[in-house]
Amino acid sequence: MTRPQGWLALILALAIGSLLVLRSLPLSLGLDLRGGSQLTLLVKPAGDITRVESKQLEAVKEVLERRVNGLGVSEASVTTSGSDRIVVQLPGVQDPRRAAEVLGTTARLEFRAQKPETQQELSNLTRLKRLIVARQEQLAGRNQASDGEQAPDVSGPLTDLLKQQGIEVPANASEEEQLEALLIETERRITPLFGEPELTGSDLVDAGRQQQQGSQSWEVTLRFSQAGGEKFADLTKSIAGTNRLLGIMLDGRSISEASVGPQFATAGITGGAATITGRFSADEARDLEVQLRGGALPLPVEIIENRSVGPTLGAQNIRNSLIAAGSGTALVGVFMVIIYRLPGAVALLALLLYSLFNLALYALIPVTLTLPGIAGFILSVGMAVDANILIFERSKEELRDGNTLFRSVDTGFSRAFSSIFDGHLTTLISCAALGWLGSGLVRGFAVTLAIGVLLSLFTALTCTRTLMRLALSYPALRKPSLFLAASSQP
Amino acid sequence: MTSSSGAILREPRLRINRHRRLCLSITAVLVALSVLGLVLSWLSPIQAPLKPGLDFTGGTSIQVERNCGDRCAELSVQQVQEALPAAAVVQLLDDGQAVSVRSSALSPAESGAFVDALEQVAGPLIATDTQINTIGPVLGKQLLTSSVLALTVSFAAVALYISARYARLYAALALLALAHDVLITSGLFAWLGLLAGVEVNSLFAVALLTLAGYSVNDTVVVFDRIREQQRLLPDLSVEDQVDRAVDGTLTRSIYTSLSTEIPILALILFGGASLQWFAVALFVGIAVGAWSSVAVVPPLLPLMGGRLPQRAASSGVVA
Repeated sequence: MTRPQGWLALILALAIGSLLVLRSLPLSLGLDLRGGSQLTLLVKPAGDITRVESKQLEAVKEVLERRVNGLGVSEASVTTSGSDRIVVQLPGVQDPRRAAEVLGTTARLEFRAQKPETQQELSNLTRLKRLIVARQEQLAGRNQASDGEQAPDVSGPLTDLLKQQGIEVPANASEEEQLEALLIETERRITPLFGEPELTGSDLVDAGRQQQQGSQSWEVTLRFSQAGGEKFADLTKSIAGTNRLLGIMLDGRSISEASVGPQFATAGITGGAATITGRFSADEARDLEVQLRGGALPLPVEIIENRSVGPTLGAQNIRNSLIAAGSGTALVGVFMVIIYRLPGAVALLALLLYSLFNLALYALIPVTLTLPGIAGFILSVGMAVDANILIFERSKEELRDGNTLFRSVDTGFSRAFSSIFDGHLTTLISCAALGWLGSGLVRGFAVTLAIGVLLSLFTALTCTRTLMRLALSYPALRKPSLFLAASSQP
Repeated sequence: MTSSSGAILREPRLRINRHRRLCLSITAVLVALSVLGLVLSWLSPIQAPLKPGLDFTGGTSIQVERNCGDRCAELSVQQVQEALPAAAVVQLLDDGQAVSVRSSALSPAESGAFVDALEQVAGPLIATDTQINTIGPVLGKQLLTSSVLALTVSFAAVALYISARYARLYAALALLALAHDVLITSGLFAWLGLLAGVEVNSLFAVALLTLAGYSVNDTVVVFDRIREQQRLLPDLSVEDQVDRAVDGTLTRSIYTSLSTEIPILALILFGGASLQWFAVALFVGIAVGAWSSVAVVPPLLPLMGGRLPQRAASSGVVA
């Protein structure tokens, strides 16, 4: 370190660079600071697949990304974590219910033809389904027109029906919940009455939604690919004019059964488009549209973690940690100046540079700042100061032993180096273990602490040193009284 | 090396090995109290050495703020419990201004239903202040194992590093100091859990892991000084060398701990509820860490030999 001017130029350049970085790149804040929901999804092996491999994880992630985009949440992020998890971050979303529903379902869409000789069984089930839906709509107040004529009151025998079907619902479940459970079960039972899937969601190129004419209900429109259109034509041709139905299944539930008129017996339904009228509400139709556009999940997922923080709470967290970080740094500065005088002031300056570089690195890498991350930063401030203290204590000893200022300062640096190095390295080893093995929160903490420790090695050994040399180049500052408290002067 | 000749002549202000008995007695009392806390906690209804929070047990916690101006309408825990769709532990906070609900892990739809029910019974709520946390039971167990694994791996790595840079005895003592720091901090939280119902969460695990790194850092600084003393003053007894090393690093140890404690104190005072206990754990751990590096390891070192092999003694990194 023979050319302090060179170091000074480097430090100045880095400081200016950091300011520029911070001006142009925003710091990314974690959801605990800005408010939002974070969902962790576990990807579960299914069928032939017994272990989730990275290729499948990526495939699930891609589908989830498309769905998240479809939800229209700005700056949402989807990342894989570990070998079988996906973390979805939805800034600004406070009620993750809808997102959870859209993201958590597989959305495997299938078109199947009804098996022969199942008419009787199917018509029983579809009649039950119609009754349930009618009652649901009545309860929801959606279908008042038909109120008088066909409002089958299934509430009485509903519990019997449930028992009969072997469906268990919580004792205090409302009628709506009982109906929903019954509907799901009924739709599940319809599915085996249909043959193998002949057309699936992967044959779609687009999905949309529109309001059904003269109704409050919505329908979802589908557009098939070339091959999909042909399959659909074949499928409809095969059952046109028979009394077999076309079933549309979503995740093993039959959401729609439709008959195909005899006029399609020659060519099937061509044109590559279809409509699902499953009496959707506006929201349900929109969610299904998003799911179908995003494609089906190759493997089922389960939501295992959900953290939601309201935005004002997040803002409160930011304010708290800013106050803590600011007052912490300021108090440490005061402490250093009281104890070490001029070197203390130099250390304070180095500390400010250190904070600046840290923030710039967070923006550059980029590091998403979370509460534990800020804690890591605050702790690293303490460690950065430690390096300075080690150096100054050594310098003081040298000074007490009657050495010159220059020599004392230089020896202080070189003799403190090995303990600074050992100390920082052991902390770094812990950070590595934390970052490598820890999850989520723990990693955020390890990352900021590690960056802090690395930077502190740099600022203690270059910034403090260069600034000290600079200070010592002014004769007015070369007074031992500026370095030692009066009591300990030789 | 004329500059250090002065240091040779000066008598240390503090000879830590003369206070060995006192230091080790205080340590023994602290350790005993901690173990007692952990054991009592295990025997108490908590049934674990530390009271595990949501992060470890799995479950859902929901916290809502009520929007009711100066005075909130009267609300009882029972009222809330009856309104909720499923069984849950309900707590009223801040004079009934906030409601906290704990239950087994809920799906987002179920926790949404909880919030709706709370809105009904305790509303209107400040929607932007709602906080929901759901941790699946698998995740909690995983957090525990991954924390323990991270701790073990960092123990092992640090031990290897110190063995290589110093000696095996030094590595063993550094780990002893580390275990001491972690044990006493845990002990305090066991007592806090018993007496004040304080729970440990993943941030507490982070705090312990940080202490592991910090504690070793502290101890290594003393080791570094001992190594230097052995190089400069090879003829002194180990006890003397250690005393001089501790004396030489004492001011630094105190100042460093103070300068680290100051920002953590700021975190305790201003960091808000979510970071408060985390900061307390760090605060205590760092104080205990300073103690162990000054008053536990140095008095033990001469008892167990403590002379570094010549190679290690001379291999200090010099800038």
